[in-house]
Amino acid sequence: MTPMPAGPRIAYVLDPRFPGGTSSGVAEELKVTARFGQVAVHAIGSRMFGGREVAPQLAGVLEDLGVTPVWDAPVIGADIVILHNPVFLKFDAALQSRIVTRHLIVVAQENFLRPGGAEGFDVAHCMGLIDRASLALRKSVAPVSGHNRATVAAWHQRFGLPPGWGVLPEDWFHICDFAFLPPTAAPRDQRGRLSRPGLEKFPPRAVMDLCFPPHAEANVILGADPLLTEDTVRPHWTLHPFRSLEVDAFFRLIDFMVYFTAPTWQESFGRVLAEGIAAGKVVIADPATAESFDGAVVSARPEEVDAIIRSFLAAPERYRDHVLNAQSAITRFSSEAFAARFGGILEGTLKVAA
Amino acid sequence: MILIESGERTEKSFDAKLVFARQLASRGHRVVLDDRVLPERLDRNQKYEAAAFLATLDGAAISRVLVIGAEAVSQETMLALRGFDLAPEVSVAAIGRFPQRQAAIGAQAKIAYATGHEPTLVDLSTLLPQPLLADAVLPLAAVPARRVEDGGPPRLFIFLAQETLDNPQVLPVLAAMDQLPDWRLNLILPGRGKELIKATRYDRLRVLGYSEVPPATIAALADIAVFFGDGVPGERMAAFALDLMRSGGAVVDCTATGAFQASGAPVVRGGEDLAALADHLLHTVLVNRQEIGRRAQESRWLTANGIENLERALGLPVPVAGPAPVTDRPTRTVFLPTNGVGLGHARRCTLVAEEMAGSGDIAFAAFPSCVPMIVEKGFDCLPLVQKSPDHDDEFANDLITYLRLDRSLRPGDRLVFDGGYVFDSIHRVILDKGLDATWLRRGLPQPNQNASATLDREPVFRQVIVPTEAFDELNAVGEMGRAIRHVGPIVQRLAAPDAAERTRRRKALSDRLGHAFDQLVITMLGGGVASDRAAQMQALAALLDDRKRCLHLIVVWPGAVVPPGLNGWRNTRVVQTRRALSLCQIADLTVSAAGYNSFHELLYHGLPAIFVPQVASFLDDQDRRARAAADRGLAGRVKAQDLLVLEREVTAFLDTDKADGIRAALAAATLPTPGNARAAALIREGTAQ
Repeated sequence: MTPMPAGPRIAYVLDPRFPGGTSSGVAEELKVTARFGQVAVHAIGSRMFGGREVAPQLAGVLEDLGVTPVWDAPVIGADIVILHNPVFLKFDAALQSRIVTRHLIVVAQENFLRPGGAEGFDVAHCMGLIDRASLALRKSVAPVSGHNRATVAAWHQRFGLPPGWGVLPEDWFHICDFAFLPPTAAPRDQRGRLSRPGLEKFPPRAVMDLCFPPHAEANVILGADPLLTEDTVRPHWTLHPFRSLEVDAFFRLIDFMVYFTAPTWQESFGRVLAEGIAAGKVVIADPATAESFDGAVVSARPEEVDAIIRSFLAAPERYRDHVLNAQSAITRFSSEAFAARFGGILEGTLKVAA
Repeated sequence: MILIESGERTEKSFDAKLVFARQLASRGHRVVLDDRVLPERLDRNQKYEAAAFLATLDGAAISRVLVIGAEAVSQETMLALRGFDLAPEVSVAAIGRFPQRQAAIGAQAKIAYATGHEPTLVDLSTLLPQPLLADAVLPLAAVPARRVEDGGPPRLFIFLAQETLDNPQVLPVLAAMDQLPDWRLNLILPGRGKELIKATRYDRLRVLGYSEVPPATIAALADIAVFFGDGVPGERMAAFALDLMRSGGAVVDCTATGAFQASGAPVVRGGEDLAALADHLLHTVLVNRQEIGRRAQESRWLTANGIENLERALGLPVPVAGPAPVTDRPTRTVFLPTNGVGLGHARRCTLVAEEMAGSGDIAFAAFPSCVPMIVEKGFDCLPLVQKSPDHDDEFANDLITYLRLDRSLRPGDRLVFDGGYVFDSIHRVILDKGLDATWLRRGLPQPNQNASATLDREPVFRQVIVPTEAFDELNAVGEMGRAIRHVGPIVQRLAAPDAAERTRRRKALSDRLGHAFDQLVITMLGGGVASDRAAQMQALAALLDDRKRCLHLIVVWPGAVVPPGLNGWRNTRVVQTRRALSLCQIADLTVSAAGYNSFHELLYHGLPAIFVPQVASFLDDQDRRARAAADRGLAGRVKAQDLLVLEREVTAFLDTDKADGIRAALAAATLPTPGNARAAALIREGTAQ
């Protein structure tokens, strides 16, 4: 067990039963922020996740850190309070815990708006609950990526955050401390995608057909539960239900990760794309999703995917260079980078007289 | 094409889709339901209602998707929506009552993910406020019904909960109300209510099951609706009440909770006591009926809950007023004979149809066995599908009949049905389309036949034309209902051949069959469906085989089953023909069953005959018919089992002057004027009114 350092009190507020990226991101983050002070984790039993278990990736880190989550504490007090993903409050009528802090940071995680401008969730309701339950010198929303920031800003412009709230200038990015695997020297037309099985993760079938054509050597889809129930059979697709294959094993089956989602939804950060890059793959995604990765993800329209893959197959050295550059690019999402960013924010917070 | 989907895959949701589809279709919108997502349990009525809308869909045919009950969208629905691969220009709408903003956002998002299209959100909480039922999946909007006015007393529909029947006073009270001339009483009961009533001595009460007929159809028929029970009894009844109010009818709220009134609907509040209802209706509702209807139509609540609001919110074209326009093609008259055990129903229909020449578009819908005869008469014929034990449902063929009639008929067309049992298809299409319907129904039931089930559907017909029997004692004196019209016997008339013509035709027959004869005997004992007459045919064949220069023709309908072993007789031939009467005209004797058509044809053409009645539980009383002729000396009559008597009778007809005596008696008999033309005139009258 790592000894808990003395220092500023850092409190996390979240529903630890979040599946997927939010819990993974928080777990990685806790390992970093625990170095800066006394970390407490306040679990909120929201209606959204009633009946579920704590996410295993988070439970493991909490155990390693020796942090026991406190469920539904009446009062949460800390120098800095980080509330992850306000969406968990969307079905609740109130946030019962009272938050008292110098700086309350709500990490957006979800996009406030979907492509086209529809609300991603009832942001006003969730932010209102948090606002009414908190007393803080400073209240901030922290976007996790450039795209996520754009949706927060657009939402704020249309609906308005509660008075006194601001948007952190720095992105509260997901730590991507994945071990980097070297790219293959002889890439083949082996394509694949990995996602949770929600329909928002899948583009229309016509796009899937463009991305995973019969002439590809392999089309491996992990998290393909919705596709397994469809009437249309694509014998050239190898479909695996969600969690039926280890992620490492999945990446060993492909050389290109092709990732498009429903046009009415977009990843807020795209942690899975960073995983693909770290695994030594060329990752191809729609322009909006790729934008957050500053060239590490190849931006493409579905009809361009085939040509892009052909060009990489024709020039294996270009494949290798692209992967190495991409891996280098995502080091900006390292734990060190996050520690530097968090340290700065914490320092700024502590400077402010309470 | 508008696809209607529901958020969940429950039976309630499917039923809501059915009602909503019909509502939109009545407004002229082209609607379709996906046949891949039928619930596991689909009752008989739902199958009829769904049939016209179900299709195996190609996404390209869809121009718009409406998801009702969108406050809860299941994974199955999402996957189904995804499967359509909707084109970019397709518009999608999510319709529901969203208790919180998050519910609306969530529903919108789910549908957006599944379709790839951002749906328009239609929140009924604000669009159609104060609903009759808060948790309805169906968007409860008032749709103007296509009123079917017939000038009779107001049509009263009373909804009762099934448990109401536990009170022994309920049915006597209703039976008493049914006797009042101030209204025409109809009951609506859910569950087994209808079945329970039909098992009592009050089985003459007219009862509809809860989902037997679509709400819009009942609303078109009703003038007053009364609701008993704890509250608003489900979505179908809520829709019925809305449509009725919108159409100027009166709704009386006798529920324990005053649920209709509490929602703000323009209803009349009534007491919970059924015994007090008649007086309440007589002294409060009937005298103010027009005003009640007018005020309801003008109420702000009803305007706020009108279908037009929903249409506008969905971007659907709003019809200018009233129901969908009707095409301007001439009124069509469709005759639909049941197939029965022979072709008698079809024959009768053609006789009446021939009298209607020049009365516009006349066509038939008929089962395969009847089609050639109808076409031969020069009528167009829509073929129907024969019932088959190989069908999944025993009524599967009738579903097809319903679909074909639904597509062939328009409001205001005439339907003439000839048969004993009114199929669901016929009952429904008459109600759905507001057809001018006539039931051609011959009488003379057997004494113990229960007519309750048959007569239950009689009220949907404007009239019942009963072709009378030739003899008075065979005509029921009690059958004098509101819409019963008696006409003379409907019978085929052929010119009698003179002696030369008779000789010529007998010679032609002899030449054709290669069988010289001086005596010609026709046997027409049926195709064996109702009664097995193989023994009688064999006996006749044996008897006539000993005669020299005798030809014995066993005449059956084309396609009828002929008993084996008849081909071995020297003098006997089996003939399949639709022109039996022509043969009888040149015969010396006809041995026939006593079905309505054969009996009257032989009588009216003065032909000597021995009748061997057929006996089956579903047939008319052929024995009484045969006896009536025999008692008057106009025919012979032999019971089927009396084979020796049959032999004696045939011998008497052929070897004595008995046949001549019968001919003379027939020539002297006064028979009623045939009713063919009168029946045609009565059918025509309806549209002229």
